[in-house]
Amino acid sequence: MPDHWGFVVSAYGLAAVGLFAYWRRLVRQERELDRK
Amino acid sequence: MTRVLGWLALLGLLAGLAAGFVVAPREVTQGNVQRIMYVHVPSVLVAYLAFAVVFVASIAYLARRLEAADRVAHASAEIGVLFNGITIVTGSIWGKPTWGTWWTWDARLTSVAILFVMYLGYLLLRGMIEDRERGARYAAVLGIVAALNIPLVHFSVLWWRTLHQPPSLLKAGPPTMSSAIVVPLLVNLAAYALLYAYFLAKRVRILRKEQEALA
Repeated sequence: MPDHWGFVVSAYGLAAVGLFAYWRRLVRQERELDRK
Repeated sequence: MTRVLGWLALLGLLAGLAAGFVVAPREVTQGNVQRIMYVHVPSVLVAYLAFAVVFVASIAYLARRLEAADRVAHASAEIGVLFNGITIVTGSIWGKPTWGTWWTWDARLTSVAILFVMYLGYLLLRGMIEDRERGARYAAVLGIVAALNIPLVHFSVLWWRTLHQPPSLLKAGPPTMSSAIVVPLLVNLAAYALLYAYFLAKRVRILRKEQEALA
């Protein structure tokens, strides 16, 4: 079976984007609360 | 403590990437596309963990009216939805080259989609009710009911005929996979569990600060 590296990169890439975006959201939320 | 968890999670994720791409062998039947398993399986197991925490914290809230338990349930549900979403997306990407389809309405895929929608509903419910105490109470009931879907998702591959393979880790008896695959999988699972703990600690602290700001 071919390796389908494009699918592997897409899966890892989308997971990384989701996790990073959530982490950024938490950091931003906490910074805003600390500023108030 | 939260910061330490964050760094440990990051180190764990890097170790997990090395384990999944360098240590783990190329799988004989599927080829390198099987490496998606090292993100897909830990994601779903951590989603189960997150929803199990929602279940326990919801019971604690209903029994004792502990605001801390409600915050844990709320935070854990949010993180569970994130990991459940990653499970669905990575599973769909893995499904296309191996099954020939992005999606099919078989028992595992359908039940995991229902799980996702139920906890999305849980979060929407929390956002819709202005009275915090009432919102927490309704959410706790939904958090308990929705958790009943977890065994349904997990055992769906054994109870019904599905396209999805049987459980890889959470099953009776020794693993059917080679240790060269199981060990990288466990490394990734530990990393994802650390990341979950880090997100949970951070999100609970934010919820507490939000409530203090409103009080």
